[in-house]
Amino acid sequence: MTNKVLPFIILMMIILASCNNGTKEEVAVKADTTLITVLNFEKQADSLIDKPVFIEGTVLHTCKHGGKRMFLVDGTDSIRVEITAGPTIAKFDESLIGSRVRVLGTLKEERIDTKYLNEWEAEVKKPEENHQVGIHSGAKGHEDQGMQEKLDQIKALREELKNSGKDHLSFFSVEGISFTILK
Amino acid sequence: MIRRKTLRRWNNALHRDIGYLCVGMTLIYAISGIVLNHFKAGDFQHPDYSKSFTNLTVPLPKNGNVDQQYVFSVLDRVDSRGNYKSHVPGEGYVQIFLKNGSLYIDTRSGEAQLEKKTTRYIIKEFNLLHYNNLKKFYTWFSDIYAAGLIILAITGLFVIRGKNGIIGRGAWLTAIGILLPALFLILM
Repeated sequence: MTNKVLPFIILMMIILASCNNGTKEEVAVKADTTLITVLNFEKQADSLIDKPVFIEGTVLHTCKHGGKRMFLVDGTDSIRVEITAGPTIAKFDESLIGSRVRVLGTLKEERIDTKYLNEWEAEVKKPEENHQVGIHSGAKGHEDQGMQEKLDQIKALREELKNSGKDHLSFFSVEGISFTILK
Repeated sequence: MIRRKTLRRWNNALHRDIGYLCVGMTLIYAISGIVLNHFKAGDFQHPDYSKSFTNLTVPLPKNGNVDQQYVFSVLDRVDSRGNYKSHVPGEGYVQIFLKNGSLYIDTRSGEAQLEKKTTRYIIKEFNLLHYNNLKKFYTWFSDIYAAGLIILAITGLFVIRGKNGIIGRGAWLTAIGILLPALFLILM
């Protein structure tokens, strides 16, 4: 009897696991949650740092290194919003690409200053580079960038930082709490 | 004082039972380990999906206007209208997302690339566990598994007695197993 049941139980466990690694019901929606759009993200982000937000868009890209981030667009890909997987999201599966989703999350700011760029440059020059460091653009092929392309990106950011007249550049993203796929 | 014979019996019983318990997780980590290893080495595009690419040439959009009609007309040529999910136009290109891949079209030259992907079922789930994407209790579970492996390794040294045991052939093989990764660290 055991011989017949055990392989079935194992198979069922694998199937259940595969059905349970993506969309979660939206939880703990706070009253002050703001609905923002991809197209107005940059304008609105500054005033919503560390606040809960809803954002809707089409998934343009998911990170193939563990599915820890995805990028949303709306109509055009000239504006992309980075969504990172918070502790309650297992991963952003590649099957989400092209789907329209609504994400509940917390708006985060990442500050890029000279020290950050120096550390990133040092990391890029290492033989075994850490994929998690640096700025992720979501552009086609950005994950397969070579060392020179990344160094060019760092150089461009240095230039942008210099021209900004500030001591840092701000990059905004949403740390996802949950998401739903819209029909 | 516990006799040596009793200690060995406990050692072997521990090794046997923990070994049985660790079989499932060991296979999961080993199989996904091979996949992730070769993914990191650049041998394939994605750990969870196998992908194939076909280059083709498609008609240019009339007046450069990428609309739904144009997208569907191109999809009809590659027999993929039924797989349409959405499309996102960019500066000089359009990305059409399909249920089983995507179609990237350079709308200036008409050159296109059709990507078709197939899910690596089971391996995809193994990778999910290997990356610890589930977090929460799975972190504890995988820690316990790792501790089990440590116990397996140590008890494994003392399973066999005599010339094939840890005071004979086993010592040489154990030393080789430790030296090989050390050599990689030193030489590479």
